[in-house]
Amino acid sequence: MTFDLVELGHVAVILALMLSLVGVAAPILGLRTRNGAWIVMGRQAVTLIFLLLAIAMGTMIDAFLTRDFSVKYVAATSNSKLPLFYTVAALWGGHEGSLLLWVFILSAFCTTAVWLHWRTQPATIPYLIIVESALMFGFLALIIFLSNPFERLIPAAADGKDLNPLLQDPAMVMHPPMLYMGYVGFSIPFSFAMASLFSGRLGEEWLKVTQRWTIFAWLCLTTGILMGGYWAYYELGWGGYWGWDPVENASFMPWLVGTAFLHSAMVQEKRKMFKVWNLFLIIMTFSLSLIGTFLVRSGVLTSVHSFATDPGRGLYILLFLATVMTVAFGTLIVRSPKLRSLIQLDSIVSRESVFLFNNLFFLVAMFTVFLGTLYPLIVETMGRNKVTVGPPYYNAVFMPIALGLVFLMGVGPSIAWRKASMENLRKNFLLPAVVGLAALTAALAAGIRSPLALGGLAVVGFVASTIVFDFGKLTAFWAARQHVTLVAGFFTAFIKNQRRWAGLVTHFGVLILIIGIISSTIYQTEKVVSMRVGDRLQLGPYTITFKQLHAVTGANWTAQEGVMDVTRGDQFIAEMRPQKRIYDVSMTPTTEAAIHTIHTGQIFVTMPEVSQDGTAMVRALINPLVLWVWGGGAIMGIGVILNLFRPKRDGT
Amino acid sequence: MTRTAFMVVALLLTGSWGALPVFAPVEARAAQVEETALDDQVREIAKTLRCAICQTENIWESQSVLAAQMRAIIRERLKAGETPDQIKAYFLSRYGDYILMKPRVRGWNWVIWAGPFVLLLIGGIMLTRTLSRWSASAASTPADPLPPLSEPSRKRIDNELRAYDQ
Amino acid sequence: MSAAPTPPLPPPTPSPMDAPSGGEDRFKLRGWHVALVASLIGLFLLFYQGLWGDPSAIPTVLIGTPAPTFSGPTVVDGSTFDLSQYRGKVVMVNFWASWCQECRLEHENLLALYNQFRTNPDFVMVGINYQDKLEDARQYLSVYGSPFQQVRDLKGTISIDYGVYGVPETFIIDKQGVIRHKEVGPIVGPDYNLLTERIIPTLLQSPGPSAS
Repeated sequence: MTFDLVELGHVAVILALMLSLVGVAAPILGLRTRNGAWIVMGRQAVTLIFLLLAIAMGTMIDAFLTRDFSVKYVAATSNSKLPLFYTVAALWGGHEGSLLLWVFILSAFCTTAVWLHWRTQPATIPYLIIVESALMFGFLALIIFLSNPFERLIPAAADGKDLNPLLQDPAMVMHPPMLYMGYVGFSIPFSFAMASLFSGRLGEEWLKVTQRWTIFAWLCLTTGILMGGYWAYYELGWGGYWGWDPVENASFMPWLVGTAFLHSAMVQEKRKMFKVWNLFLIIMTFSLSLIGTFLVRSGVLTSVHSFATDPGRGLYILLFLATVMTVAFGTLIVRSPKLRSLIQLDSIVSRESVFLFNNLFFLVAMFTVFLGTLYPLIVETMGRNKVTVGPPYYNAVFMPIALGLVFLMGVGPSIAWRKASMENLRKNFLLPAVVGLAALTAALAAGIRSPLALGGLAVVGFVASTIVFDFGKLTAFWAARQHVTLVAGFFTAFIKNQRRWAGLVTHFGVLILIIGIISSTIYQTEKVVSMRVGDRLQLGPYTITFKQLHAVTGANWTAQEGVMDVTRGDQFIAEMRPQKRIYDVSMTPTTEAAIHTIHTGQIFVTMPEVSQDGTAMVRALINPLVLWVWGGGAIMGIGVILNLFRPKRDGT
Repeated sequence: MTRTAFMVVALLLTGSWGALPVFAPVEARAAQVEETALDDQVREIAKTLRCAICQTENIWESQSVLAAQMRAIIRERLKAGETPDQIKAYFLSRYGDYILMKPRVRGWNWVIWAGPFVLLLIGGIMLTRTLSRWSASAASTPADPLPPLSEPSRKRIDNELRAYDQ
Repeated sequence: MSAAPTPPLPPPTPSPMDAPSGGEDRFKLRGWHVALVASLIGLFLLFYQGLWGDPSAIPTVLIGTPAPTFSGPTVVDGSTFDLSQYRGKVVMVNFWASWCQECRLEHENLLALYNQFRTNPDFVMVGINYQDKLEDARQYLSVYGSPFQQVRDLKGTISIDYGVYGVPETFIIDKQGVIRHKEVGPIVGPDYNLLTERIIPTLLQSPGPSAS
C-alpha cells in the first residue's frame, strides 16, 4: 500500500479540528481550577494545530506540484500545462484551498501571538487561546464537512481544468495571502479585546499590547487591496483599478473601520477615553472581515470574484458569523456599565474632537459602501424591482465623504490635545488654508471645472502644507539647536519623533494616492476605433500607427498580437503589442493590455476584438499620473514600516 | 542576384514570424481613423447601462455579444434622432431598473442617495452636542491634578534639560 | 513542548490599570444597546434571505405589457416570419441557441408541448435563434427536429426587445397580444406542467380580440 501524502494532509486537518476543541476547553478548565498546566496545554494545542496545518498545506502543495489529478481540487484548478509558479498559487485559486490558507494563516498568527505575549500577558492569554481556538474550530469544521480540498476523484481525472487565466498573474498570486493576513491580523486585537471583556480587566492593556498587531494587519490589508487594484489594472484590460464590485467592497469595509480603530486607539492610549467605542470598533472591524468571507462564498451577491457556492455552505458561514458577532457585541453590551471612561475634554476644538469626527466620517463611509453593496439585495427582499448600484453611485456619494476625511487628516495631527487656542489654530492652519485656497484658484484658472477635482486639489494643497510645515519647523529647530545642516536636522527630528513622522509619511502617501486617483479617472483620455493595418489614430499628443497583426503562442495560450508604433510628432516613443489571447485548455479569451509609461502617466492600449478580415477594434487610453496611485500606496507602506520598526524608547 | 537572395532571405525571415501573416504592407489606402461625435455619444450612453450577462460591467466595457448588440442599437437610435433619455427609457422598459448603472433618484431610492449625507449630518450634530456637553462639564469641574510623572519620563526630561543647558 | 513553567495566574481582583468606573455598575438598557441588537438581527435576516435568491436573475418587467412585434427570416429557408400575422392567437415564443446546453434539456418537452396543442387553431409556437450562426442552428434543428417555425434574430433586436439576457427563455402571449408569462431556464418538471395544464389552456379558452 503506497503512502498517500494527501490522506496524511487530510488526517492532519481532522486532528487540528479536534485539537481546536482542546484549545477551547483546556484554558477554560485552567481558569476554573486556577491551574496553569491547563493553560500550557492550550498553548501546546494551538502550536500543534499550526504544525498540523503546515503539514496539510505541504501535502496540498505537493499534490499540485506532482499534478495529482486524483485530488478533486487539484483537477479543478490546475492542469499539466500550467506553469509551475501558478500551480502552487492555484492552491488558493478556488474556494476550498483558499479556506485552508485562511485557517493556516490564522493558526500561524495565533501561535505567534501566544508565544510572543506568554510572559507579559498572563491574565489574558488563556482567553486569547480560547477565542482564537474557537475561530479556528469554526473554519476547520467548514473545511472538513463542507469544503474539503482533500476530496478524491475516483477514477482520477486524466488532466485538470485550467486555472482561470485571469488568475495567472504574479500580483494575483500574492493578493489573497496578503488580504488574508490583513483579515486574520485583525483577529489578534479582536481576541485580546474579547479577552479583556471576558476577563474583566477593562483597562488600556489590550490596546498597548495589540498596537503593533493592528498596524501590521492594517499594512497587510492595505497592501492586499492595492495589489488587487494593481492586478485589475494590468491584467483585466479595462484601464481601471477599482470597480466597486461587491467583493472589492467586502475588503474595503474592514479597511475603513480598521483605519478608524487605528486612530481612535491613539486617543485611548493618550487620554484613556472612548473605551467602549474602541472595543466596538475592533469588534466591528473583525466582523466585517468575516462578513466579507460570507459575501464572497455564499452566492448572495454577483461578482467577478465570487467562488463557486452553494446555499449549504453559505448557511454555515452565516451561522458562524452570527455566533461570533452576537457573542462579541453581546459581551460588550453586558460589560458596558463597567467601561465608563473619565471624559476630560476641555473644548470641542481639540484633537480628541477631530479624532471623533474622523471616526464619524469613516463609519459613514463604511455605511455608504455597505448600503450600496446590499441595497440591491434589500430591494429584492422587499419584493420590488431589482436595481443596480454601480460606480456612478459611489463616485457621487462616497467621494465627497472621502474628501472630508482627507481634510480631517490635515487637521488632526497638528491641532492641540484637550483645547486648541486661537493662536495654535492660527500658527498651524492659517498658511495651509491659504495654500489650499491658492491651489483652488490655480485650478479654476487652469480651466478645471470638475467639483471632485477642484475639491480634491484644494484639500490636498491644505493637507500637504500642514505636513510640509510640520516637517519643516521641527527640522529647522533641530538643525539650529544642534548647529548642523538641515538634512542632518531632518534626520534628528525624525528619530526623535519617529512615530509621529511615520504617520505623517503615511498621510502624505494618501495624498499622492488621491491625486493619482483623481487624475487617472477624471482626466483619462479614451478612444475606441476600428483599425486595419496601416491606419493611424491620434490620441492626445500621440499618434498610434497600426503596423502589423500576427499570431503568437505562449506556454498555454495562443494569441493575435497587434504591433503598434506610438509617436509624438516626429519622435518615436514606443512599440506596443496588445494581444487577444485564447487559453488552450479552457478556451477562455483574455485581453492583454500593452502599457507604456511616460513620466508618471501611462498609455494603455488593448484590442478587445480581432476579426477574420484583419480589422481590429482598438481601445487606447491615456491615464495621466496613474503611477501616483501605486506610488502613493508604496509611500503609505513605507510610513507604516517606519512606524512598526521604531527603536523602543522609554515612555513610548 | 544578391538582391534576389536578399529578398528571399527577408521573406523567409518574415514568414517564419507568424503563422498567419495578416501582413498588409502600408498602402496608399492607410487612413487616419478617428472617433466621431456619434461614437462619443454612444460611449456616454453606454457607460450608464449595465451588461445583463457579465453583470459587473457596463455595456461600454463589456465584450459580450449582448453589449455589442446594445451599443449598435444605441448607435442606430441616435442616428434616427432619439435623445439619450429616450434611448435609456427604451432599455428601461425592456429590462427594468436593473439595466441602469445607478438607481433612479425616486421613491425608496432616496435612502441610498441621501442616506449617507443625512447620517453624516445627524451624526455630526449629535457629536457636536455631546462634545459641548462634555467640555461644558469639564469647565465647571476643575481638571483633575495631572497624574504623577512616571520615572522614565522624568529621567528623559532631566536628560534633555541637562543637554539644553550645555 | 516547552518545559518552562507558566507564570502563576494573578489573583482575580481588578488590576490598578483599570480606570475607576464612576457610578453604578448595574446593567441599564440604553438606546444604543437596542439599536445595535436590532441592526444585527436585521442584518442576519437579510443575509439569510439572500442565500436563497439568485443574484444574477433579472425579473421581467414585461408581464402585462403588449408583446413587441417582430419579423425576421426563418432558419430553414429564409422566408419572412411576422408576429403581427398571428394576432388573435396564443403564441409561445422560445429563445434558444445551438451552443446552449440547457436548451437541449427542454427540447423534447417543447416538442411534446407542441404536439399537445397543435390541433388547436389558436395556438402558435415559434422559436427565436439567439446569438448563433446559421449553420450551427440548422445543424441543431436537423439533429433534434423542429416542427414549428424558427426565426433568426439577426442583430439581437428581437431578444433585446423582449429583455432577454440568456437562453433558454420563453414567453407566452395571449390573444390580445399581451405578454402573460415568462419562463427563465429550461421548461422541465413543474414548470412544464404549469404551462401545459394551466397557463396555455386558460389562454386558449379566453375569447379573441373583439374587433377584426
